[in-house]
Amino acid sequence: MRQEVIQERAGGMWPWLLQRVTAVILLLGLAVHLFALHIVNLGSLSYDNVAGRLSSMGFVVVDFALLAAGLFHALNGVRMVLLDYGFTGGRRTVLTIVLWIVGLGAFGYGTWALWPWLTS
Amino acid sequence: MKRGVGGTSGPRHREPRGAKERGDRVTEKNRETANVGAGLWKGTGMWAWLLHRISGLVLVVYLFAHIGIISQGHVQGQAAFDRLFRTLESPVFVLLDVALVGAVLYHGFNGIRVLLMDIGVGIRGHKTVYYAVMGAGVFCLSLFAIAALSFII
Repeated sequence: MRQEVIQERAGGMWPWLLQRVTAVILLLGLAVHLFALHIVNLGSLSYDNVAGRLSSMGFVVVDFALLAAGLFHALNGVRMVLLDYGFTGGRRTVLTIVLWIVGLGAFGYGTWALWPWLTS
Repeated sequence: MKRGVGGTSGPRHREPRGAKERGDRVTEKNRETANVGAGLWKGTGMWAWLLHRISGLVLVVYLFAHIGIISQGHVQGQAAFDRLFRTLESPVFVLLDVALVGAVLYHGFNGIRVLLMDIGVGIRGHKTVYYAVMGAGVFCLSLFAIAALSFII
């Protein structure tokens, strides 16, 4: 019984591995993102400024990598916190499904948000 | 706590010494007792783990706020988006921005330590590695703070 509780709280192998993979993507992507936006372009952020960056394929790739990896890492992080507070069995499955719906929804909304810049 | 030193967990996790000796099976209670005995759930490792969790939760909230704010370009159009960003350049928001960068740097640099421990680097000297990555984090934060200084004062 106790043993099962420990295993359920551990979260699983694939989420564990993907949390590490997304961590590396975020470390690399955020280095670019923070340097570009919080140092180089600080004070000149505007609609046209964003359009300028998103006209280069490099920043589009970085932004979508950050959106996808960030959402997975964040929501799996929330899942790991909640698994420490009694989400076991069926509740754990429901939690995982709900977080996937939230994540995919946010990815869709984030893509929609960038659409005017991507298509102009 | 099952996560041991500074938030590492997963397939490579080893049972702390003594976890099995105190009973036939590794129960939660045994494991926690063993961890405290090994000094894992106290001191530097505990604070590293706790701050990692708190900064992580702050960043989750920010991520969704960030998506919401950037989407205003599509929701409200260019003029409203530019007005919003002039507001975000006021001293209070720039100060919050530097604090946010601090949270990112803490979570990222402590995350590097966790990743290193996962591949077996710096487990024994995890405190030294912690202070090293924190030094690198403070150095980076000072660069961001200097860049932001003209907007704050």
